Amino acid sequence: MSQPLLSVRDLRTSFFTSRGEVQAVRGVSFELRPGEILGIVGESGSGKSITCMSLLGLLKSNGKVIAGSALFEGEDLLQLDDRDLRRLRGDEIGMIFQDPMTSLNPTLTVGEQVIETILRHRRISRAAARQRATELFELVRIPSAAKRLRSYPHEFSGGMRQRVMIAMALSCDPKLLIADEPTTALDVTIQRQILALLRELQSRLGMAVILITHDLGVIAETADRVLVMYGGMVMEEAPVRRMFARPSHPYTRGLLASIPDLRDGTHQRLTPIPGSPPDMRRPPAGCPFAPRCRNAMAQCVKALPPIYEVDAGHGSRCWLHHAEAPRVEGINELVPA
Amino acid sequence: MTAYVLQRLALMLVTLFAIITLTFFLMHAVPGGPFVSDKMMAPEIQAAINAKYHLDDPIWVQYLNYLRGIATFDLGPSFKYAGMSVNEIIAQGLPTTLKVGVLALICVVSLGVPLGIVAALNRNRWPDTLVMVIATIGVAVPSYVIATVALYFFALRLGWVPTFGLDDWRGYFLPVFALSGFWISFIARLARSSLLETLQMDYMTTAKAKGLKPGQILFKHGLRNSLIPVVTVLGPVVANLITGSFVIEQIFALPGIGRHFVLSITNRDYTAIMGITIFYAAVLMVMIFIVDMLYLVLDPRIKYREAR
Repeated sequence: MSQPLLSVRDLRTSFFTSRGEVQAVRGVSFELRPGEILGIVGESGSGKSITCMSLLGLLKSNGKVIAGSALFEGEDLLQLDDRDLRRLRGDEIGMIFQDPMTSLNPTLTVGEQVIETILRHRRISRAAARQRATELFELVRIPSAAKRLRSYPHEFSGGMRQRVMIAMALSCDPKLLIADEPTTALDVTIQRQILALLRELQSRLGMAVILITHDLGVIAETADRVLVMYGGMVMEEAPVRRMFARPSHPYTRGLLASIPDLRDGTHQRLTPIPGSPPDMRRPPAGCPFAPRCRNAMAQCVKALPPIYEVDAGHGSRCWLHHAEAPRVEGINELVPA
Repeated sequence: MTAYVLQRLALMLVTLFAIITLTFFLMHAVPGGPFVSDKMMAPEIQAAINAKYHLDDPIWVQYLNYLRGIATFDLGPSFKYAGMSVNEIIAQGLPTTLKVGVLALICVVSLGVPLGIVAALNRNRWPDTLVMVIATIGVAVPSYVIATVALYFFALRLGWVPTFGLDDWRGYFLPVFALSGFWISFIARLARSSLLETLQMDYMTTAKAKGLKPGQILFKHGLRNSLIPVVTVLGPVVANLITGSFVIEQIFALPGIGRHFVLSITNRDYTAIMGITIFYAAVLMVMIFIVDMLYLVLDPRIKYREAR
């Protein structure tokens, strides 16, 4: 197995608000290999975005990384000073955000916003940067690229703006691209185009991608490996096919059960997960999912389960994987084929 | 675009016409007249004066005559300052008012905006608190209080500056300070809240995620967007400052035009009231027009189209 590009260990991030400390991320660990697409899935407030914002030092001023390390090519991102972090941002690590309508500065041309990124990290002339920006626009398939550099964001549609964001994030050939809900704000048809574009660019340029989303469909289509987050923790981690074929955590199973199945033509009711996510100001001592879990046991409320390796590369944070736990079909008891 | 500008200029003339008409008839509707408050006057003298200034003509004849004068930029003779035209009153007072006003404007822009930025960037730390406390006082305390207190300390007790007049360059300090104090405070508060709002925008996070330096982020991405509301207010502020202030000119005994705003009304100096009002209205409209043009430079989303 190749050396990981990014190795996050026990990341903890909190927000200090007037109403107390909100523990948004509580000990997240994962690895990312070069050229891999890692999907992070979870509902709002699960800590998936905050995990990535912590890596790049982009937290709002009341947010603070409390513990952990994040080795990126041997350098700990969490220990870098502002200067070195700024050098990495936009150069080695590119980032795309959720809402392309608000993520671009309305008073600058889109070309300028790409060019300034290139000029920040490369010692080249403005003309060369402009040339590079034109190529990037062609790469992300913005029609009449050279001309469109002079347009302002409001003259673009949402999908086109997200293409600009992608061009900007890729402008310095990053080794890692973090895409935070890149398609959430877009129409379904545009979502497809953007995902296809991301996948194509990834295989062409070979960078690693962290794809944050709450949409399992996006994960299924795009990712190589998946982290399922809940209550600021990783609940399950698995290769994407395995995750959909054999989910091992009750939460993941609940998520998959709440996806409508259109194939069999029967009109089944969706199976929701009852309850709401935990209050991160007073996170539960045990498993954060226990209050909503249909398989919860007394042990689940008392203590946080460790991550059990249920198969190679497949981990699941659930007491049911304990040797003495009762057998539950599908989780620790294989369904007969 | 040219068509739009022409349309705006035409609209300004229409507005001015409406202001002239309204002011003219409102003014005449108020009881009394320029020569009523004077000491007992023989009826025949009164009649002679009224005839001289055409005050005995029907009101619409006076109105038409006045309009005819305006068309040739003649604001008529003053009813109170014998032998002086309103044009002369404005021409005489304007240089003083302009000098103080422009200096005050420079202070407002060069102090108000940076103070607001410093406060926003240090949100909830001591520089922010300090700026906001001073700015709140500056907005709350009336200029005549600031002026008299400053006059007492700096002119009377310390003797650093003269008590009145602008013969000495030091004479400018207190009037400019008193005139700009409110607006510095106002602009500082506005710039602070506007920049704080801009700093929360998603594109500021994008700018940071691109690895830009803090200076680039602030000046290139933050300031331009947050200055739009400031520019909006600056238009009327400029009009206000360069047309002078009755209170400040009175306290520091400055021969500007600001005091005529009030004096002409108590004097029922009909032509002066009209002239000063038209002057202020014209300056204000020009400033608002300039602000609207500045929007085009500041915000590319704004485009003007002539109405059909």
